[in-house]
Amino acid sequence: MSELSVESLEREGVMLLYPSGFINAHTVRLFEGALQKALDGGCYQIVVSGVGLRYVASAGLGALMGVIEEVRTNGGDIRIAELNDTVRNIFEMLGLNHLYRIFPSEQEAVLSFREASGRGRAPA
Amino acid sequence: MTGRRRKPQPVVVLRVPSGTEFLAAIRDTTKRVADLAGFDTATAEQVALAVDEASTNVIEHAYGGARDRVVELAFVCEPDGLLVEIVDDGRPVDRRAVPRVDLRRYARERRRGGFGMHLMGRIMDRVSFRRRGRCNVCSMVKKLPAAEAREAR
Repeated sequence: MSELSVESLEREGVMLLYPSGFINAHTVRLFEGALQKALDGGCYQIVVSGVGLRYVASAGLGALMGVIEEVRTNGGDIRIAELNDTVRNIFEMLGLNHLYRIFPSEQEAVLSFREASGRGRAPA
Repeated sequence: MTGRRRKPQPVVVLRVPSGTEFLAAIRDTTKRVADLAGFDTATAEQVALAVDEASTNVIEHAYGGARDRVVELAFVCEPDGLLVEIVDDGRPVDRRAVPRVDLRRYARERRRGGFGMHLMGRIMDRVSFRRRGRCNVCSMVKKLPAAEAREAR
């Protein structure tokens, strides 16, 4: 069984990424590839849905950190949705909840890009 | 009964090749041992993350990505918690050189690494490094909640 798969879906100009499984130093290249593919396609509004994400090590968090500046420089943002308690806890331990907006649902994360005031901003 | 304290014994010793494909086995073993040691599921998963990070550091830094070396982990269930030792015979790594995590600076600099040590320190009650002969030894301790409460009194 593969440890990680990443599905992607574009909806109303927002790229939705669905990593499913575990992101660690072994699997992170797949996740990085999905992020880079969105950027290469000129899509800077990205939602990472954690609905299938069971676990993320620092390698996965590093993948997000490695591209966030480029994304925001281009007027976009990476927003996170539907994290389980384990993954949310890891985000909070590193303080990433202060750098990324985290939403309870994918729908709310997608809609947040429609809010003019929320466009490309980190949480207060 | 002599009244002398028994030396704690490793309950599990795991030796794996230094490939990242073995991180899942390390994580699964750690989680099961932490369960057996008496930690709740959420804490056991955090301990597994800390050990994953320490093992990743060994593979990427001490061994420089070489896949033909060995990472050895010893798990010791002690009365007040769990001791994990991660041993490698790679190059010594100066852990004092690990910088404090500044997320906004890391984002500006597009840095992808440097979080693992920080997570280890946040999760575990004690993290230390030493040389033993030609080996690096990373020791990490997680105390059971009852032991933490006793120490706080």
